[in-house]
Amino acid sequence: MKISLNWIKDYVALPEDMDLMQLSYDLTMSTVEVEGTEDLAKRFDNMVVGVIKEVLPHPNADSLKVCKTDIGGGDMKEIVCGGVNLRDGMRVAVSLPGAIVRWHGQGDPVEIKKSKLRGVESYGMICASSELGLADLFPAAEEAEIMDLEEFDFPAGTPLADALDLHDILLEIDNKSMTNRPDLWGHYGLAREIAALYDLPLKTIEPYIAPAGTETATVAEVYDHERCPRCMGIMIENVSVKTSPYLMRSRLWRVGQRPINALVDITNYVMFATGQPSHAYDADQIVDHIIVRRAEEGEKLALLNGKDLTLTANDLVISDMKEPVGLAGIMGGAKDSILPTTHRVLLENANFESRGIRKTVLRYDNRTEASARYEKALDPDRCAQSVAMAMELFSEIYPEMKVTGYTDVYPQKHQCAEIDVSLSWLASRLGQVIPNEVIAKKLGALGFTVTFDGDNMHVVAPTWRSTGDVSIKDDIMEEVARMQGYENFEETPISTTFTGAINQLDKNLVRNIKEYLAFRCGMNEVFTYPWMSDKYLDAIVGSTEGVLALSTPPSPTEKYLRCSLLPNLCEAVVKNERYFDSFAIFEEAQVFFDKDYTSPNDPCELLPLQRRYVSGALTDSYDNVVSLFRRAKGIVENMARYTHMEALTFSKKEKPSWADDTVWLNVWCGNVKVGELALLSKKASMDCGIKNLATMLFELDTDAMVPLRSRDNTFTHLPEFPMTDYDVSLLFDTTVVWEDIAATVMGKGGDPLLHGVEFVDEYRGKQVPEGKKSVTLRLKIGSLTKTLTSQEIEQVAATVIKRLCKKLNAAERAN
Amino acid sequence: MREKIEAVLREGLDAIAAVKSEQELQEVKAAYLGKQGTLTAFMKEVPKLPVEERPEMGKAVNAVKVQLSDAVEARRTELKLQVSQIPADFDCTIPGEMPPEGALHPITQMCYDLNDAFRSMGFEVYQEDDLTSEYYAFDNLNFPPQHPARESMDTYWLEGHDKGEANEKLCLRPHLTGGSVRYLQTHKAPFRFVYPGHVYRNETTDARHERAFFQYEALLVDKDVTFTAGKVMIKSILSKVFGRDVPVRMRLGFFPFVEPGFEIDMGCLVCGGKGCSVCKHVGWIEVMPGGTPHPNVLRAAGLDPDEYTGFYVNIGLDRLVMMRYGVDDVRMFHGADLRFLKQFH
Repeated sequence: MKISLNWIKDYVALPEDMDLMQLSYDLTMSTVEVEGTEDLAKRFDNMVVGVIKEVLPHPNADSLKVCKTDIGGGDMKEIVCGGVNLRDGMRVAVSLPGAIVRWHGQGDPVEIKKSKLRGVESYGMICASSELGLADLFPAAEEAEIMDLEEFDFPAGTPLADALDLHDILLEIDNKSMTNRPDLWGHYGLAREIAALYDLPLKTIEPYIAPAGTETATVAEVYDHERCPRCMGIMIENVSVKTSPYLMRSRLWRVGQRPINALVDITNYVMFATGQPSHAYDADQIVDHIIVRRAEEGEKLALLNGKDLTLTANDLVISDMKEPVGLAGIMGGAKDSILPTTHRVLLENANFESRGIRKTVLRYDNRTEASARYEKALDPDRCAQSVAMAMELFSEIYPEMKVTGYTDVYPQKHQCAEIDVSLSWLASRLGQVIPNEVIAKKLGALGFTVTFDGDNMHVVAPTWRSTGDVSIKDDIMEEVARMQGYENFEETPISTTFTGAINQLDKNLVRNIKEYLAFRCGMNEVFTYPWMSDKYLDAIVGSTEGVLALSTPPSPTEKYLRCSLLPNLCEAVVKNERYFDSFAIFEEAQVFFDKDYTSPNDPCELLPLQRRYVSGALTDSYDNVVSLFRRAKGIVENMARYTHMEALTFSKKEKPSWADDTVWLNVWCGNVKVGELALLSKKASMDCGIKNLATMLFELDTDAMVPLRSRDNTFTHLPEFPMTDYDVSLLFDTTVVWEDIAATVMGKGGDPLLHGVEFVDEYRGKQVPEGKKSVTLRLKIGSLTKTLTSQEIEQVAATVIKRLCKKLNAAERAN
Repeated sequence: MREKIEAVLREGLDAIAAVKSEQELQEVKAAYLGKQGTLTAFMKEVPKLPVEERPEMGKAVNAVKVQLSDAVEARRTELKLQVSQIPADFDCTIPGEMPPEGALHPITQMCYDLNDAFRSMGFEVYQEDDLTSEYYAFDNLNFPPQHPARESMDTYWLEGHDKGEANEKLCLRPHLTGGSVRYLQTHKAPFRFVYPGHVYRNETTDARHERAFFQYEALLVDKDVTFTAGKVMIKSILSKVFGRDVPVRMRLGFFPFVEPGFEIDMGCLVCGGKGCSVCKHVGWIEVMPGGTPHPNVLRAAGLDPDEYTGFYVNIGLDRLVMMRYGVDDVRMFHGADLRFLKQFH
């Protein structure tokens, strides 16, 4: 919302030397956020009143003229201009070199420079109102019409801002910062805050008193008192449609409202002054008087903005004896509002219940300045004050006008909020004691009445703060604290009672896993959205059964909520494949299932199953699939050891639908299946759009993992005598698996000098016969009591080889 | 003559110790032990001595010769070890080898930095489900029934769960505060905890707006907490994040779940508070809302608002991370683009 400081000065006398930066700062700290201040006159720097002495033809262009123009002190300059209404003696706005204008009111602002136009030197520019941003204030009949300053009788050379009286400071207030303060949606409300902040007197606005005898006629009636707590109707005769006074137009323009005509401008002016909307109807169009009532289902109303509505019984309308004439609190009807011929006006000024207005606004998507205010719950007492202001303006602009009818339907007087506040409570929450008289003075300036009785402070809120804004003692604390100034409170340290160390095993486990994956395994953490693209959902999950969906999804193909992190990881693989060949990413986040609903807190609330997963994707070319598999498996295999949780094991029980037929494993923690580790099948890769890369995926349910309460491994003595690594390469049938080889080597009846076996590598290819593979294993051989001789070591190895040959049909390699 | 020999020994040892290269050492060796060397000259003198002195002086000169020879050899070994065994054209500018290049997401990094700071102040870390009911997302938090945030334009409601009573309507959580009430309900006051997590809004996205983003909530509930205690909390956060003291101001702000409510600004670090384009020329940047939990929120958590009070802040993690690194598009965080993420190792 834009606020004019000159307008504010109507209600509070600001000191001449007021520091504007300070005012903005103080308002921001205590009341509303001032997003910016603008010195209005600066827009008109280097612009002056000019008087055209002679309009001459341009030697090179028929559409242009050369104007000999007095720009002050008899300084005669030639200015080239294409205006259609130029004449000798015309008083115009001249932009001198250095002024900032918009060419033809369009595009970016440009700086005026002395230049030649079609060969003739032009000193500045004679402007149309749109070029100065004044089109709303000085509407032009056609584009090339030059702004005529006839009504401003200032000599040539007068700065334009002086001539048009545009010296003002405009404050830009963030509307979001005052959604809870309906009283601030007009200049008067803000004036009150400023008066309170700086201890200045505020001008009072007395409620309207109608001329005697006018109350006999019924001007307004209310059928729904709940939705319309107050309605005032005033019948005004002897008026006409004309342009309103310059000051009124100028102020409306400054706050962003286009002036229309005096009858409409009065209602707008009063709204921007007090925050109270009202509407003027052409009384000749109204059948008898207005009635505030619910619309009938299916009733029609054509609005001023051209929208045709079919109403519902929940909409509140202003109606005459025949049909609706306006949508209450939102917008007047097209037929009955001010017309060019209007000479009698029915002024409606009412208070409406906020929620009803809001619902109707949403129903028709028709938000207006008026509805924005009503939605915030206005003070019904303000109707009478704003009517008083409107009537004063009517009599100024139309001295011959006459009030012929007046009705004020206000059956239930608006109650002020009354709150008791314990002073000791207040002091403990504020962290300091503020003297009673200081509190009384600060709150008093805001309209609160305060009385003290021992530790109790009884506060009566003013009507304009009693519409929901102030209702509990905490609200009063806020009022006291903000008026005192938040910066004037000392910081207080936070004290604590020590009851024990924080030990959150589950939180630590998740962090350990993430740090393990990132720092030890070299993976990059990514975040994706909680919804899945249909393409990846189809490729990975396959079915939408048991998958939750959004009712208003970000896009039609992103409707389903993730039940696995893999679809989005596959999407990430596709995105990154463009730039990288081999990469490793992981995500840790929640997944959702339309099943197993439980009540985590309140028994009446049922929430679906939600689990935290951690999933990873590792890619490489298909040539390196073995090492890719080993890398991925190593990550999962060693996770438990490095992150301090119960061990994870592998076995094949249930192939994930997206997995390659051969390369897949289920991951277990004890008897519980906690996830999978597998190569993405070629088909799923294609469906995802992964072009060339092999992708190993793993997905683990971290909620199912069990963190260790402490470490579970124990110290082993260092060997006193050397341990020897002894490598053996043997040929096996390709169907023999490592798990069996290791079990055979280390199986029962094994040599006590053999302490372990490790996989070194596996080779298939030209050097090895068809159907065979060469496996190299590393034996750990040593004695706890002596240093072994090489014969003794070879003896151990020979036994192992014999065993493997016998049990697994292994053969030593020829070379 | 004996004195002279001893002087030669001292000089010789000093000269050997002083050499810097094998070349020099060779010269010194020649000067003392070579054919024209000082010691050789002495040797030649011995036969000219009286007979009875000859054996003794001969021995003495020999002993010195041995001492100097030993010193030369010792020095030679020493010099050899000092010289590099690697060819002199070895290139020390070749880059080092990269350790594994994995990284946590920059938002996770920020989150863990904050967790560490808060844990050191006795705060627990809390976590909650992403899906919640309207009851916990809004009602418990004192949002009026008609609050705009409840409408579908702001909140992602679940299909088949988007109508009915507040406890039946389910959504992706639009903020974290509802989850905080769950904590309050299941723990015994007093408490202090932080609560990082994903939140979701049905918005049009641009460089400053995202549909999924991160909040970091910190809540302290105790008896007799003044609203200014919150300032300590906030300063701790910001000094942790930016590594230096950051000026902080609290100003009036309105949020349904706090009373009084604050907008919390930090001094602009780009211009030092003088005003620049980053801070829109005001010297301050809005970083988080905060305030004292509204009595209705405390009641929803089963606490007596006359007895308990506290302080709450809700930090937009994305914004803070953007300020930490100068990231200018919030959408980068959910883009899973390694070219971006690899910058935050």
